[in-house]
Amino acid sequence: MLRSDQILATVEMIQKENLDVRTVTMGINLLDCRASSIGQTCRNIEDRISERAGKFVETCNFVSRKLGIPVVNKRISITPISFVGAGFTRDDFVALAISLDRAAAGVGVDILGGFSAQVEKGLTMTDREYIHSLPEALRVSETVCASINIASSQKGINMDALAMLGPTIKEIAERTADQGGFGAAKFVVFCNQPGDNPFMAGAIHGVEEADTVLNVGVSGPGVIARSLEKLISAREADENGLKLDEIAEEIKQTTFRVTRCGELVGRQVSDILGVSFGVVDLSLAPTPTVGDSVGEILHILGVDAIGAPGSTAILAMLNDAVKKGGIFASKTVGGLSGAFIPVMEDAVLAEAVGKGDLCLEKLEAMTCVCSVGIDMVAIPGSVDGDTISAIIADEMALGMVNNKTTAVRIIPVPGKEVGESVSFGGLFGASPIMAVRNVGKSSRFIGWGGRIPAPVHSFKN
Amino acid sequence: MSTQMIISVMSKDRTGIVADITGAVYELGGDLADLNQSTLGGYLTMILFATFDEDVSPDMLMQKIDAIDSPTTLDVVARTITTAPDPALSELPPKTYIMTTQGPNRKGLVYGVSSFCFEHDINILDLATTIKKDIYTMVLQLDLSRVESIVEVREALADYARDQGLQIVLQHHDLFKVTNEIPF
Repeated sequence: MLRSDQILATVEMIQKENLDVRTVTMGINLLDCRASSIGQTCRNIEDRISERAGKFVETCNFVSRKLGIPVVNKRISITPISFVGAGFTRDDFVALAISLDRAAAGVGVDILGGFSAQVEKGLTMTDREYIHSLPEALRVSETVCASINIASSQKGINMDALAMLGPTIKEIAERTADQGGFGAAKFVVFCNQPGDNPFMAGAIHGVEEADTVLNVGVSGPGVIARSLEKLISAREADENGLKLDEIAEEIKQTTFRVTRCGELVGRQVSDILGVSFGVVDLSLAPTPTVGDSVGEILHILGVDAIGAPGSTAILAMLNDAVKKGGIFASKTVGGLSGAFIPVMEDAVLAEAVGKGDLCLEKLEAMTCVCSVGIDMVAIPGSVDGDTISAIIADEMALGMVNNKTTAVRIIPVPGKEVGESVSFGGLFGASPIMAVRNVGKSSRFIGWGGRIPAPVHSFKN
Repeated sequence: MSTQMIISVMSKDRTGIVADITGAVYELGGDLADLNQSTLGGYLTMILFATFDEDVSPDMLMQKIDAIDSPTTLDVVARTITTAPDPALSELPPKTYIMTTQGPNRKGLVYGVSSFCFEHDINILDLATTIKKDIYTMVLQLDLSRVESIVEVREALADYARDQGLQIVLQHHDLFKVTNEIPF
């Protein structure tokens, strides 16, 4: 039998420290659902989703109850819709969004991702129609999440697409003004978007994937925060003192346990459903729940204000330790795999925005060393489209040059300014509006269009 | 004709008990199939399976053990058994769960929890308890093979925990294996 202390440590992780499996996401290939008409395509898609995912939620709940560990979210990702809807118009894409929304509700998932396109090198006519459809598609659907990959380390940044996105994001927010611009929280712009990320809003089922695949996202900032607090208090009286390498080791070992739980759940669900298991995404994804925050970990590790000098270094260590613990724990790792700093979804980060501790520039610096990017940041609704495009451009450049995934999910909250706040409720959280400096000073740059060429992948000195 | 025997030993703990007992088994030509021992509060208890090539009776073994010059009293019970231990039984059943209960110490806690298990046709495979700062903790390894609905057991357990003022958690053994063991 296992030792009692090991058992109690595991029980404590789950009961008191918010350990859960954050998401089990079923990726479904829809490429062959394209029919000659939009109506038939929609029917094919709905049939496919209900056939593949009909028992998905029920099975996740069964495994969750059997093992005694919560599985918080059950979600679906699909083939990027621009491929499925090749040749369709913007109205057709809106119809596809409605159809996907219905399919998601039918199988009981709360979010469906993959209303997406991949345009890192060039835009097709379909891609343009897709982008134009976004404001309406995200207004009329509830569960559908959209994403677009406009840059990669291999192809550079598609600045034509980028120039369209700032105004598009504003339009998305304005069409959902009655919900504080919530539509924009369902749209994320990527550089180096992975095809097997189970986390929303950026989940897609990449075209390189098999027909149906199950990916799991583990989480657990709360578990890591509690284990660090315990370690720090246990070593307070130690004359040699606790050093950062020991802290990194603690994070690594805790992540190992968290990841193993995720893998166990994912593999059991995929066995029951007869679906191949994809990857475990080793991410620290915070939730607005108190005690489930990445910002809190930065606090515990020694910065009294989130965004104070040192925040980036701590985040770098945290991100790396999470990967090291998780990679050994899982047979297959993929997706984003890193610490997330989505401001609205992390109560401590959101509070730091309100206090003026965390500014956009520092947030951008922090995203150089973790996933995902400028995520869930509420900015004044008055910020112009070109400035939003330029914020995205900077973040894309970071990802492109550093060979990592970066993303932007920014919400220009209609009618709100710095000093006010916005709340979307539930997992999407709340935050004061973050100031954007130098608004309206990047239009000449965005006006160029074309492409930023890919960086050199040699001469690394 | 070979003889199978199950032997149980209790003694105040000291060095050399395992050597004394297994020495007696060895001298009678016995082969140890399995052995389990643990200590609690300065006392040792041990249970072992042995197979003897020749016709060895429990009395012969007891005499052999009595002859040991032991500074502690060895309380021994030995019985012959007709069926060999099934190796499959030493593997954990698929529905092995771990239950932990925690609550302020008082009389009858183990009795109450074990009665709950009995009433729900749950077999206790292993049980360990600790007491720290007057909080009594039980860790039970359980076989739920005969339980039809885990959901119903969970509901009954939640009611029981509430009535008794205990924190009770029931989780599958696999979860503890993956978080604490590295597979080979």
